[in-house]
Amino acid sequence: MSEILLEIKNLHATVGEKEILKGVDLVIRRGEVHAVMGPNGAGKSTLSAVLTGRPDYVVTEGSVRYAGKDLLAMSPEERSWAGMFLSFQYPIEIPGVSITNFMKSAVNARRKAAGLPELKPAEFLKLLKEKMAFVGM
Amino acid sequence: MNEEKNILQDLTQQTYKEGFVTEVEQEYVPKGLSEDIIRMISAKKQEPDWLLEFRLDAFRRWQKMEEPRWGHLTLPKIDFQDIIYYAAPKKDADRPKEIDPELEKTFEKLGIPLREREALAGVVAVDAVFDSVSVTTTFRKTLAEKGIIFCSFSEAVREHPDLVRKYLASVVPVGDNYYATLNSAVFSDGSFCYIPKGVHCPMDLSSYFRINASGTGQFERTLIIADEGASVSYMEGCTAPMRDENQLHAAVVEIIVEKDADVRYSTVQNWYPGDAEGRGGILNLVTKRGICRGSGSHLSWTQVETGSAITWKYPSTILQGDNSSSEFYSVAVTNNLQQADTGTKMIHIGSNTRSRIVSKGISAGRSENSYRGLVRMNRSAAGARNFSQCDSLLIGSRCGAHTFPDIRSACPTATVEHEATTSKISEDQLFYCNQRGISPEDAVGLIVNGYARDVLSRLPMEFAVEAQKLLQVSLEGSVG
Repeated sequence: MSEILLEIKNLHATVGEKEILKGVDLVIRRGEVHAVMGPNGAGKSTLSAVLTGRPDYVVTEGSVRYAGKDLLAMSPEERSWAGMFLSFQYPIEIPGVSITNFMKSAVNARRKAAGLPELKPAEFLKLLKEKMAFVGM
Repeated sequence: MNEEKNILQDLTQQTYKEGFVTEVEQEYVPKGLSEDIIRMISAKKQEPDWLLEFRLDAFRRWQKMEEPRWGHLTLPKIDFQDIIYYAAPKKDADRPKEIDPELEKTFEKLGIPLREREALAGVVAVDAVFDSVSVTTTFRKTLAEKGIIFCSFSEAVREHPDLVRKYLASVVPVGDNYYATLNSAVFSDGSFCYIPKGVHCPMDLSSYFRINASGTGQFERTLIIADEGASVSYMEGCTAPMRDENQLHAAVVEIIVEKDADVRYSTVQNWYPGDAEGRGGILNLVTKRGICRGSGSHLSWTQVETGSAITWKYPSTILQGDNSSSEFYSVAVTNNLQQADTGTKMIHIGSNTRSRIVSKGISAGRSENSYRGLVRMNRSAAGARNFSQCDSLLIGSRCGAHTFPDIRSACPTATVEHEATTSKISEDQLFYCNQRGISPEDAVGLIVNGYARDVLSRLPMEFAVEAQKLLQVSLEGSVG
């Protein structure tokens, strides 16, 4: 078996006064694909919100280790740099900011965190074109 | 706690990278304000009698006036006898024409080239003002070949007295308001610019204002005239050292736009805003006004206001000529304990005149940010139109945003539209950015630049890049 990538132990979390997660345990090894299923209100979104560090979600008990580190001690952007990605159910619009500009900021923020030089606008556009061709856009 | 406070202070002070002091020998007039002081300033500038009389008349009027208190501002009591009204770096007696290397270094540090060869391909001509005097004006000769006059105000008084006399106080009368009248009495230096008939100015003109000496005030006076069919783009920037005291910048800018002429006036205002506790910072009490005198003339104002402890400023246009038009595009940022009361006046006199106002206020920290504007349609303004859009963006829950629009229409065929929105940077937007790896500070920068895009896109290229960075820097520490 491959190494453990994500290890959630007895995770409890509340939103406002309400406890939503009541002791979640989950182990995901590198290379595995898991689907979390459950009826509305089961806490699927809350689990992903807690893992990515969304504000207003308070962890009251338990621990999460990700790639050997204490995930809960990391800021949302640090979790992102470490490889956590949340696909938003309702993507947020930032008025006046084009998708291209937004993606360039995101890519360069990650490159900066990894100690890589930032991409210049022309380099980024080239990368963007490659990726667009890859997904058939 | 103390340590934490120091770290915070370091951080907030680091963000104002223009806050250094230049060690240079300066000469001053004695502290305080009187007719004698005014005579002294006028003598130092070797002014003609009519200008001294102009100053003294203004001073006598000013003494009978009261400070305006209608702004949504808490103004500290200004002791006008505790200010030095003239400070100038001493000239080397043997080489009076040379620029002091210390001054050159200062402007270099601020990114303002004082030597023409260094300015890339001559994109911008600069008039650099240090405290009460202009240090140098670049590209004067190149511009003179086209008949353009671009020099310091003091030089214009000596070399083009007829033009100065004709236009001085023609847009902002001597008794206009308390600070403008004070300026008329004690103004020191600023820029003078005249574009003759039919000439398109081949490069952008710019003035850079630097306050350096402590205990002084700066009283900028700028006059821009675009004759028939002429056009010019003019930019203004400013910075000051970090000090615990408030320093006064009371400027008057007058712009005259003749028939079919076009003036674009852009400002990036980055005066020292004071520290996080509201200590120090520039009091920026400024009167800027232009007149579209001739038919088909056009004046546009674009301002990015990030600095100053207090900003009181309403760049305005009198639309006198038929079919003349004007725009006011503004981004005003306040953080910590900054206060801004800023906006515009569009006075429609001519028929079919058009104006557009786009104001974007951004408040953070415990700051107060107000838009104040007047749109007036005179009886004569048949078919005139105005469109105003006033947006406010709030960051955090301890700041204030206010809008005071005043619309007066005496003309049945004039149209006035006003739109306004207030919004907050939402947790969702921030989290979305963070989740994509963008830090909270960078996220605020991204969101704010998006919000202000309509205004930033109006700035000349080289200014726009600087303004974008400035927006982000001035909001540092506003989230988290």
